[in-house]
Amino acid sequence: MNMKWLEDWFEKIEPKGKWSWLGSTYEAFHTFAFTPKTVTKSGSHIRDAVDMKRSIIIVVIALMPALLFGMWNIGYQTAMSTGADWHWLYMWWFGFLRMLPLIVVSYAVGLFIEFAFAQYRHHEVNEGYLATGLLIPMIVPVTTPLWQLALAVAFAVIIGKEVFGGSGMNFLNPALVARAFLFFAYPTHMSGDKVWIAADLWGSDAIAGATPMGELAAGTNPSASALDMLIGTIPGSTCETSVIAIALGAILLLMTGIASWRIMLSVFLGGGLMGLLFNAIGYNDYMQLPFYYHFLMGGFAFGAVFMATDPVTAAQTNTGKWIYGLARLQPRLPRGHDAQHPLHELHGTAD
Amino acid sequence: METIKIKKGLDIPLDGMPERHIVDARSIERYGVKPPDAVGFTPRLLVAEGDTVCAGQPLVEDKNDPRLFLPSPVTGTVESIVRGEKRKLLEVVVKKDLKDPKDLKDLKDLKDLKDLKDPKGLTPDSPCWWMIKERPFGTIANPDHKPKGIFVSMRDTNPLAPDVEFALKGREHEFDAGVKALEAYGKVHCVKAEGPHPAGNIGTIVAAISPINKGEYVWSVNAQDVANIGRWVTTGEYRPERVISVGGPAAKAPQYYRVLCGACMQRISDIQLMNPLYPSAESSLQHTTRIISGSVLSGNAIKADGFLGMYDQQVTFIEEGDQYDFMGWLMPGLKKYSFSYTFLSGLLRPFKALEPLMPIKPTYSFNTNMHGSVRPFLFTGSFERVFPFDIYPLQLIKACIVGDVELQEKLGIYEVEPEDFALCEFIDPSKTEIQTIIREALEVLRKEAIS
Repeated sequence: MNMKWLEDWFEKIEPKGKWSWLGSTYEAFHTFAFTPKTVTKSGSHIRDAVDMKRSIIIVVIALMPALLFGMWNIGYQTAMSTGADWHWLYMWWFGFLRMLPLIVVSYAVGLFIEFAFAQYRHHEVNEGYLATGLLIPMIVPVTTPLWQLALAVAFAVIIGKEVFGGSGMNFLNPALVARAFLFFAYPTHMSGDKVWIAADLWGSDAIAGATPMGELAAGTNPSASALDMLIGTIPGSTCETSVIAIALGAILLLMTGIASWRIMLSVFLGGGLMGLLFNAIGYNDYMQLPFYYHFLMGGFAFGAVFMATDPVTAAQTNTGKWIYGLARLQPRLPRGHDAQHPLHELHGTAD
Repeated sequence: METIKIKKGLDIPLDGMPERHIVDARSIERYGVKPPDAVGFTPRLLVAEGDTVCAGQPLVEDKNDPRLFLPSPVTGTVESIVRGEKRKLLEVVVKKDLKDPKDLKDLKDLKDLKDLKDPKGLTPDSPCWWMIKERPFGTIANPDHKPKGIFVSMRDTNPLAPDVEFALKGREHEFDAGVKALEAYGKVHCVKAEGPHPAGNIGTIVAAISPINKGEYVWSVNAQDVANIGRWVTTGEYRPERVISVGGPAAKAPQYYRVLCGACMQRISDIQLMNPLYPSAESSLQHTTRIISGSVLSGNAIKADGFLGMYDQQVTFIEEGDQYDFMGWLMPGLKKYSFSYTFLSGLLRPFKALEPLMPIKPTYSFNTNMHGSVRPFLFTGSFERVFPFDIYPLQLIKACIVGDVELQEKLGIYEVEPEDFALCEFIDPSKTEIQTIIREALEVLRKEAIS
């Protein structure tokens, strides 16, 4: 493919003189279109073909199965609740239209702030937000009002990341900061059983429908079977219900070496151990749940695969990664009527 | 000979493996002595343009320690003295006197050695002393220091590096004599490393056999220089000979050459860059080819008429990669090599364990493109897979960036040289200049240690 004309166009419009303050924005778009022609100067004269953009785009691709399934599930849940007889494609289309505004708002607000900060600091725009910006709408209830999402994104990017100096310098996972912000700022929109199923194509009206975690919190056994939870046909946050779809993403992340298998494995080990420990105590229904149920519920798998493995905020040494993953055996006790343990929000994700 | 076995590392599949065929290029006329190649060496010039010098005669000495000097590799006249910015001494160029007859005589067997009279020992004022390097810091060995070991690597694992045993063929007696001479200063470890690069690096070998603590020193000598030392101590003749491998994706006839240290590369690069279709088109490709004295991972770029680096035993030719790559981050990338398996090319080497079984082992024609722009460190865990030290690489790099000397010491900075981080720099998706960072941190420590 001969893209000489585009190369020339980019070189022609390079901001100079009084426009040179736009350098960061220009760099972001230019490097998006072309891997730069910079050459090495000393040290290693040849370099691996991988760069930050490639690594981040692998994460985005790994999110696709969960995202596509999540879109379908949004429609499926609405159809099941209203008793509508929808074609599966229409269910997906319904979910797509519900998800699209969330994704657009997340990217628009987040990238605007990223660009603004990069421009202000004369940094390059970091591509990390391409993954974060997709993660955030995937872990919120489908009925989240857009203005709340916008606020959460702004909070996450500014407080979770930019105040520390941007991507790579933060110590909190921005996507989880956004989720925690929503949980603490607007708890009524984030938990209970009236947020998980969209009533119609627009607006934030919801149909009652509890998640398995919610049912446990209410003191009943989950109505969904383990198979349902494995496939993901249960109410929950938009795109984190299907363990199978998440597993597909996990395979890609592990094959490409982008995510740490140590963290993923140890998170599951930790979760499983805690489940077994609960079984041994067997104090209430929640504790008597078979240990593998923990892997299927409450976005545990999503958290293990996409959240715990966030490279910046995870442990950096290999030993540390084991400990860090195992430490996630935090008790996920349903306390009170509708709230989960706040730590649960920060560690795994919530349903 | 000792052996060590290393598992962590990476052999970069670089095109242009040299054929095992040695061309004698000792008749090259011009030679350059490059003081910047010796770390921490502050040169004081001892000769002027037009002076006649003989092989082994000091050309420059170290201002800080006048016992250390860099000798002329050949007998001839000083042709020019090249200075760079701030009058920094870059090269002393010596033109060989073609009448010198001794030059090409080889020592055939032990009998020759025994016949020689007046064998000399290896002393700091020998012209061979600069061949001994010291760790930490990689300077020329300080004669006052007592090394806890002298290490010789019998296998160079750098991409396209020469086969050391092949290069030493016919010089075994000289090598043995050299080892004997070095034993006067400490135990000599000749180590043949198994495993992927950087198994053969001195740093890896030292870390595996006896890691350096603060206040300790180890010396190292290139195997071919051990033979050169042997020749000096037995015959009193200074002839720093080296078999170098010349290869790389842009080399037309990758092969070995027998040269003297500091040889001018003009004749060799003329052959390597020549376009076979248009022999008269005078090295027209030169401006798009980078000639590296040393390995692609840690060598220095030289001009087509530049000189072989003082400690180098290979020259690599690669294309300059100053072209854009449309949507490079999105394309499948079957022809791009990555350690990370993020490109389709990764499918050609499914698992490390299966690699020996794969029918095709593709090599890649790397160029000098960065393949991305500089970013903060984001991803972790990959450096450890190519870094066979008991050190946290990322943490040490970060300690060097912030200049925290105490932390650097705790993390084991004295064990490493920039070249030990070459693979980390190669695979880094953040495109950080790691070797430069390590070198600068070491320089700060070295200057502190002197004062």
